Amino acid sequence: MNDLLVQFVIESRELLAQAGDGLLQLERSPQDAECLDRVFRAFHTLKGGAGIVEFAAMERAVHAAEELLSEARTGRRKITTALIEGCLASLDQVGAWLDILANSDELPTGAGDQAEALIARLVSIDGREGKPAPGAGTTQPWLTAFRSRHANAEAITAIRYAPASDCFYLGEDPVARIGTLPLLSAQELLPANPWPSLSELDPYECNLVVMALSAAPVDSVRAHMRGHSGECEIVDLAPASGFAAPDRGISQRGRELLEAQVAILTEQDAEQFQGRVSSAGLVAANVLTALRRDDEARAVREATAAALAQKSAEILRRNLERLLAPDAPMQAGAGAQHGGDSASTTLRVDAERVDALVRLTGELTIAKNALLHTTARAQLAGLELPSELIALTGGFERLIGELQQSVLALRVLPLRTVLQRFPRVLRDLSSTLGKPVTLDIEGDHTEADKAIVEMLFEPLLHTLRNAIDHGVEEANLRLKRGKPVVASIQIRAARQDDRVVIEVEDDGAGVDIDRVRRVALDRSVATADELQAMDDAQVVDLIFAPGFSTAATVTGLSGRGVGLDAVRTAIERVGGSVSIASRAGKGTCVKFSLPFSVMMTQVITVEAGGQTFAIPVDALVEIIRVPSAAIADVGSAQALIHRERTIPLIDLAGELRGTRGTSANSEETTVALATVGGEDIALRVDRVGERMQIILKPLEGLLQGMRGITGTTLLGDGRVLLVLDLKELLS
Amino acid sequence: MTVRTADGDLIFLEGKCASEEAEVLLQRLLAAPEAVVDLRRCESLHAAVIQVLLTAKPTLQLPPTDTAIGKWLLSVLLPLVTN
Repeated sequence: MNDLLVQFVIESRELLAQAGDGLLQLERSPQDAECLDRVFRAFHTLKGGAGIVEFAAMERAVHAAEELLSEARTGRRKITTALIEGCLASLDQVGAWLDILANSDELPTGAGDQAEALIARLVSIDGREGKPAPGAGTTQPWLTAFRSRHANAEAITAIRYAPASDCFYLGEDPVARIGTLPLLSAQELLPANPWPSLSELDPYECNLVVMALSAAPVDSVRAHMRGHSGECEIVDLAPASGFAAPDRGISQRGRELLEAQVAILTEQDAEQFQGRVSSAGLVAANVLTALRRDDEARAVREATAAALAQKSAEILRRNLERLLAPDAPMQAGAGAQHGGDSASTTLRVDAERVDALVRLTGELTIAKNALLHTTARAQLAGLELPSELIALTGGFERLIGELQQSVLALRVLPLRTVLQRFPRVLRDLSSTLGKPVTLDIEGDHTEADKAIVEMLFEPLLHTLRNAIDHGVEEANLRLKRGKPVVASIQIRAARQDDRVVIEVEDDGAGVDIDRVRRVALDRSVATADELQAMDDAQVVDLIFAPGFSTAATVTGLSGRGVGLDAVRTAIERVGGSVSIASRAGKGTCVKFSLPFSVMMTQVITVEAGGQTFAIPVDALVEIIRVPSAAIADVGSAQALIHRERTIPLIDLAGELRGTRGTSANSEETTVALATVGGEDIALRVDRVGERMQIILKPLEGLLQGMRGITGTTLLGDGRVLLVLDLKELLS
Repeated sequence: MTVRTADGDLIFLEGKCASEEAEVLLQRLLAAPEAVVDLRRCESLHAAVIQVLLTAKPTLQLPPTDTAIGKWLLSVLLPLVTN
């Protein structure tokens, strides 16, 4: 494929992701003019690219979608679900074409017909907007109760429609009218007067009142209700509707408020710095939230935090001034904009080059350790080293530390890169399975190493599938249980120290523990005795066990021949863990904990039988000295009695080197206590060394088959440090 | 004809049920108050027909809720489903 096409495919895929993301956001908030602009521009650029590589079919198909969006921008068209779906379909089609193009180097055959079919679908989408009809509504008591019954429904407009009693004779069908409301999210039918007995019913005298919620703005709802009979109240539910007009810029009142905050931030009053910055940041963020500029509100909140941390209002002030600038640039998601300078340039670099840099930095770190080790030994041996050399070594150490940080940061990606695919996936899953579900994603700006971020897609997808397929109940059942018909799934991501924690929580039925016990027994995942001894949490955890699958029949979605054990394996391979918490009838929460970076591992070195081993710190509980009497022989194995518990004891030297440790015969024994997969393990060692951060290298070549060792690293003195695989030692 | 009766106690509402069907349905339900109304092949219901159903409160057979029509019927006939 020539360079032009390569570039075209890369760029088009990015635009597809942007456009798809924007469309889903637009579906939730159709009045978000900025988001609409963003989507429109993405389509426009896609079309331009197709023109450059002379891919006429794609150009035509994208153009048709762009036309719809253009009409929506100028208010000539409503943003309806049909419009969103049409545009998404065109993105899917383009994505399929790009795959063919990337794999075969040729423009896909048959693209012309596919484009025509797509265009036919797009032009048939109605939703052309007339002039909005006048009509106003005030908040009424009915609204509070109705809204609370549908608390989860996405709504910015509420309607209560009491058609005239003779409306049927006028050709009006009030139920159909409400049913076709744009972005209808809930409706209820009530009798205007109590229902008479059936024999007294006049079927052609309308006795209905329809209440509905819609996620479409009040104007499009009004337009839809134009020409209704009887009484119709339309209430704008949008927060702070005083200045929530769907305005492309910032309204006058919002502007004044923001300007006032800038003035506050410009004051030079060191004493009340904290209060000034936090209150100005809070007000500005609230103004932006009220204006539906959520991304910018988030950026302001981040800038506020940064300003407080740096003790300088500068960063927040600049952020606000930028918003007030006449041609405020649109933010394509706040994730890209961490309180930084206005123009950020990006450089596309091949991931392999970055990896090469990471490797080299790793080698450099090892060289640094060797240098430090040598100087330390020289000093110990009483050699007089020039003080410059010692100072230089210190500086060297610091610089390499910084280099390592920066290089690892090159590989850091926001989780957004993987999480942003899920709204779309969920939308499809939800419609395939007929279970309406909303997805909330929190903390998608959380960052992690590229390798971690990229491997997360499959496990998260599997977890989501499971949540919808097995967790979320059928609509009827949800109604019976008093839950909103639309289920809710949340993905929350956050950084906790050097771990990245991701939780996937649904509000479904929770895990059926009795069923898990039965299935585990049936499929020999656990014996009856083992099950007897397990508490509920342990039983729930069995769904991650190999050979377990709770689906009575393997469905196309959750099934796919692999169980959740594949999820656990994949997560553990990168040094993560996954756990599940279930509350019967309330929902399930699957929690992933992953290292921020795959490369750096904290270890403590121990010596046994003359060899140095490293124990990962995150598994280590404590290091204790115990009297030899506390160690008991259990058959051919040994156990440590510690705090009235019996813990399997492994003699490291004996286990890995075939010799007995020297301390075996002495009065006291040094033992490292660790926990792996919830089980405790005690390791008999001769000596405890130091704590260090290492770059773990997986075992290669001849070492690969070594039992109980997960990887190696080079020590400062050139010796090889073997890092223990506690899980394997225990098994 | 979109209102069809079978075995006396089963009323089918099929296809698009327009306002004229309301009177037919009302008569059938008056004749057989215990009848079950099968909506599984229904495509739409006029408000007048819905009114008759909401008044008569018969037992319903609904299409699966994973279809658009199933969801819609569930939402407009909810008082009959939850009772």
